Amino acid sequence: MVDAVAIAAVSEMKPARYPDKDGHALYIEVVRQLLAEWHLKPGDIQGLLACPAGMAGGGNADIFVHEQLYEELGIHPLYGDTMNAGGATYGYMVQRAALAIRQGLADSVLCIGAGKFPKVSTGGAEMMARMVSHEAFEFPYGTFIPAIYAQVATRHMHEFGTTAEQFAEVAVSSREWALRNPQAATYGTEPLTVAKVRASRPIATPFHLYDCSIPLEGGAAILVANASVAKRIARQPAWLLGMGEYHSHRNIHQAADLMDIGCGRAGRMAYERAGLGPGDMQFAQIYDAFSVNPLVFMEELGLCARGKGGAFFASGATRPGGDFPVNTYGGLLSFGHTGDASGLSMIVEGARQVMGIAGDRQLPRADIGVVHSYGGMMSEHSTLILGRQS
Amino acid sequence: MNDETIPAKPLPKMTPGAEHYWHSATREQFVLPHCTACDKVFFYPRVWCPQCLGQDLDWVHASGHGVVYSFSVVHQAPFPAYRGDVPYVLAVIELAEGPRMMANVLHCDPATVRVGMPVEVTFEDRGEIKIPQFQPVHS
Ligand SMILES: [Zn+2]
Repeated sequence: MVDAVAIAAVSEMKPARYPDKDGHALYIEVVRQLLAEWHLKPGDIQGLLACPAGMAGGGNADIFVHEQLYEELGIHPLYGDTMNAGGATYGYMVQRAALAIRQGLADSVLCIGAGKFPKVSTGGAEMMARMVSHEAFEFPYGTFIPAIYAQVATRHMHEFGTTAEQFAEVAVSSREWALRNPQAATYGTEPLTVAKVRASRPIATPFHLYDCSIPLEGGAAILVANASVAKRIARQPAWLLGMGEYHSHRNIHQAADLMDIGCGRAGRMAYERAGLGPGDMQFAQIYDAFSVNPLVFMEELGLCARGKGGAFFASGATRPGGDFPVNTYGGLLSFGHTGDASGLSMIVEGARQVMGIAGDRQLPRADIGVVHSYGGMMSEHSTLILGRQS
Repeated sequence: MNDETIPAKPLPKMTPGAEHYWHSATREQFVLPHCTACDKVFFYPRVWCPQCLGQDLDWVHASGHGVVYSFSVVHQAPFPAYRGDVPYVLAVIELAEGPRMMANVLHCDPATVRVGMPVEVTFEDRGEIKIPQFQPVHS
């Protein structure tokens, strides 16, 4: 058995528009908030992994964020880097931090990100399409991120008879959770219905506006630590029981199989390393740029039968009070998508549920859960298994 | 929408190993790269074979036939060049020779496009060059 490593502290800003804060200012706000909430001192941070600031803002990304943060905090880490894998960045940060801690390089590593999301309507869609598409063999065909994700949705509909209404059920479920999370961007709004999702503006079939995540800004931080530090900081740490990683493709047309896109491969590794299986999981937090992701990835992660993701969401099982809660913070669909920092939100929530600090949405059963994130156009995958017992 | 306000659609960037592909398309010939070492036809064209990294490549004249592997009908133009095109079909085409590629499905009502639908190559004029596109097979 390898040495126990846990998530010892988490903190996240409320997704919103922060016009007065640039990427660096958001970073500082995230750190300030984490230190205050958990009564930590800069000296509690022995390692630091950051994400380039300003990537989604159209270039000029700062790839020396880690250095800037050391200096701001007055610390001299033993382990650090700025790294990027899109939405999978933070899953991989937790994995890299765990490896470093087990190797004895540091007792604790801060995984941190802050992000802005360009306005889709004013050139943001083109800028992001260029970033995620092959510049010769995809972009000239008018690529658009929702339409790229829709390739998976349409194929799933073809192979398994999944309906657009079942994708809409994912958005409905996420909103139910967001209405219980004061930090969610849609907190205090109305519940969604399948009819409302289908009546919202068509974007790219089968997606309408409410099948898409909400572009906002924000950031979060996760402190990964060894057992002694984790127990000192948290009453109930979220122990990292297993982790898996898989890299599939860069450009969506190059994915070998849209129905086996890498999520399940990362998941199986995580289960195996944890000595657990899908049946041991009590909840899932799954990166959801679009409604298609939780539906299909529940299947890939073995949490429901192949082809039954649509029926699973339609059954209500994933909603508050259901048998298998999914995206209990509202997901990127209803909590908000914080651009470069979005891959933190599902890890923060997975940790909060296991730590028992999820407030009004705390699950009665949260002993073990799975957190899946991915980067690029579902290109690279990270699965984490978190639990209450090391 | 006034056509004059719509900018030209993007041209593909010329990437290493792909010049012949675009020159052929401009002459309305659809070719695919082929690795002589492992006898693999692949997409997209590049300086080596993605299976063996062999650089002894030649070109085959492809049939131009394929089926729609997946697609989406885009209703919101991602950028101004596509304002006049919505709704348009962004698809992944599975070629008869095996590889998949991205393209638009043209010359049909987008609502009639289906996964598995047979399609054939056609060429869209982009000014300096033509690019391979697909359309339903008219039998
Ligand atoms: Zn070869």
